[in-house]
Amino acid sequence: MSSTITRIRLGAVAVAASVAVLAGCSSSSPSTKTSAASCAPAKGKVTLQYWNTVPGMDKVVALWNKKNPDIQVSTKNISNDQYGILSNALKAGKAPDLAQVGYDELPNLRTQSAFVDASACSAATAAKSKFVPWTWSQTSFGNTGVFALPQDTGPMALYVRSDIFKKYGIAIPKTWDEYAAAAAKLHKADPKLDITFFDPNNAEWFNGLLWQNDSQMYSYADNKWQVTVASEQSKQVADYWQKLISGKLVRTDLANGSTQMYAAYQKDQIASYVGAAWGYSMFRDNLPKQSGKWTIVPMPTWGSNGASGDWGGSTVAFMKGGKHLYESVKFNTWLNTDPEALALENQLGGLYPAANAGLQLPALSKGVPYYNNEKIFDVFADSSKKINTSFAWGPTQKTVNLALQDAMAKAAAGDGTLYDALTTAQAAALKSMKDQAIPAAAGK
Amino acid sequence: MTDIATRAARVVQSPGGRRRPGGGGPRAGTIFAFVIPFFLPFVLFYLVPVGYALWQSVRVVRRTGGQYGTSYTTFGGFEQYTKVFQNDEFWSSVGRIGLFGIVQVPVMLFVALVIALLLDTPLLKLKSVFRITAFMPYAVPGVIAAIMWSYLYSPQLSPVVDLLNDIGLKPDFLGPGAVLWSAANISTWLWTGYNMLIMFSALQSIPQELYEAAKLDGASNWAIAWQIKVPIIAPSIILTTVFSIIGTLQLYAEPAVLRQISSNISSTFTPNMLAYAVASGNNYQQAAAISVVIAVITFVLSFGFMRLTSKRAGL
Repeated sequence: MSSTITRIRLGAVAVAASVAVLAGCSSSSPSTKTSAASCAPAKGKVTLQYWNTVPGMDKVVALWNKKNPDIQVSTKNISNDQYGILSNALKAGKAPDLAQVGYDELPNLRTQSAFVDASACSAATAAKSKFVPWTWSQTSFGNTGVFALPQDTGPMALYVRSDIFKKYGIAIPKTWDEYAAAAAKLHKADPKLDITFFDPNNAEWFNGLLWQNDSQMYSYADNKWQVTVASEQSKQVADYWQKLISGKLVRTDLANGSTQMYAAYQKDQIASYVGAAWGYSMFRDNLPKQSGKWTIVPMPTWGSNGASGDWGGSTVAFMKGGKHLYESVKFNTWLNTDPEALALENQLGGLYPAANAGLQLPALSKGVPYYNNEKIFDVFADSSKKINTSFAWGPTQKTVNLALQDAMAKAAAGDGTLYDALTTAQAAALKSMKDQAIPAAAGK
Repeated sequence: MTDIATRAARVVQSPGGRRRPGGGGPRAGTIFAFVIPFFLPFVLFYLVPVGYALWQSVRVVRRTGGQYGTSYTTFGGFEQYTKVFQNDEFWSSVGRIGLFGIVQVPVMLFVALVIALLLDTPLLKLKSVFRITAFMPYAVPGVIAAIMWSYLYSPQLSPVVDLLNDIGLKPDFLGPGAVLWSAANISTWLWTGYNMLIMFSALQSIPQELYEAAKLDGASNWAIAWQIKVPIIAPSIILTTVFSIIGTLQLYAEPAVLRQISSNISSTFTPNMLAYAVASGNNYQQAAAISVVIAVITFVLSFGFMRLTSKRAGL
């Protein structure tokens, strides 16, 4: 055995990946099969493949399988490398019937022709009324079809250590201006205390903040994608956080969900958290000793604009590998709108449902003991209603996010600003689209 | 992948060595049967992926119109390679790795050599204990080692940082200037014992009479070490250097793990990380081209080093 073996194996990711896709290499001619899917029920028993990343999803599926002997579903957890596995499977022609895909990755996969249009099934188009509007418009790409059904969302809110704010006599901020003022006061009162942290490695989070301020990063006009990652609205958000970073009023050395982050909260070094609905269980499960010290309030707003943002959330997409569209629609609809299924997903996987029915779940209207029995989901439900419905993601979001993160890290280290990071991300977006032969231009 | 090690070893031991005549005849079938277990996986998991990567690297994505369109790939000649050569991030990652290697490889191998020489002196007691201790880090998987060190580097969690803070030092192991060397430290920790063992094995095979003769001639332990032992085990040192050059260019696990806790490691920190980032952006063809260029650089550097040193050493 040699040392090189291990190192090469770790390193040669690209080579390993190519083995996986060897079975079915990409065709060299344009595919003529578009979305001419039909919606005829299968004769006899079928088994659907459903790949996901949610803990406990096998139990939800077991419930379905018990009730539907003719439409059996088998699950596979792909949380390890979700999009890597999906892209490889697509390239190899081995995609499942259904797969979990985040909202921000939908356009990306659509440009890889990953989905089938389920609008041939009336049950799929009829599901529209059952979902929070913005989630539907993202999965239907502005009503050009039905490519996925929304599963969960991440409406944002402000998690506050109310005991710390009370101790220093600072009111809980309602606007970003008040938040910046509170940051300065807290830091002045205790130099070891910061109001929050800015995670430079988390573009998804930052995108949520941009979304809140109506940053329309992508649109389609004149037969081209119009890219405006570095818009005026984005600049306002970037400049705001740049000020906090430059003033050393926020930490920049913590990654969301890391042991280091929890340690900092544990040591009372940070007084608030700008987070999403699904984050409620993170604090509950990782900082049990701080039970009763947290409260959840609406996220700070930009002046009188009351809009909120969204961070994360997923859909269950109809993948190209599917041969049983009728059955897939049936299962997918049940999975994401049936109260029994939604309750189980919330309980086991911490999902905050995208279906309207989910917002009325008994489990989501009760007080949560960790948060002083406050009805925290009311805050998220309210936030969910205030999310800008027209926000759209770009077709090469992953590359843009990586470029944004690399540049945000530089800004956090004092090399450039967050606005520079946005212009870098804009350039990366245009370049990556060019590489994928997607017509694109810098928007105004 | 073992073949790389064995091939390298073979080349080092007999550079340009003559092949034995023979093969064929009635024994060919038997030889073939013995070779198959090696040859089949070698073709399947080595030659075929390399061929596939080469094929991918000369293709480009085209698209039919519309907002999302339908993509297809077609022959693109050297287009992907041109992009690699024009990519500043690629060259800065190669430069970073070059700096890493120029510092880390000599330090690691020097330490390994010193430990090997110490273990080989009759002065040292409890040899097997020392040998095991020095070799032990190698038993730790690279990713685990990186996670372990990331805890030691992390200001939030590390007892080492706490201790240094107490005596008035404020180290920032994950800072922009330091993080490359923090990664180098993990590599050094992991591989020194391994390299030491190769050198030590070579030392063990030196006949004792040589030392006795040298002692009769009045050579000191110091002189024996540097003027007899080191030149004799030169092939092993060259071998470990080649391994280390290859390992350096393939560097992935250590910075990838440290990246989780330090924002000073970008997604394109090493060439392999860049290839991975590009592949995860669905640009398989570009990632393939990057991988091929890395492989060629690795080949040129390691074999170039071997040719250079074996000529110098007169091997």
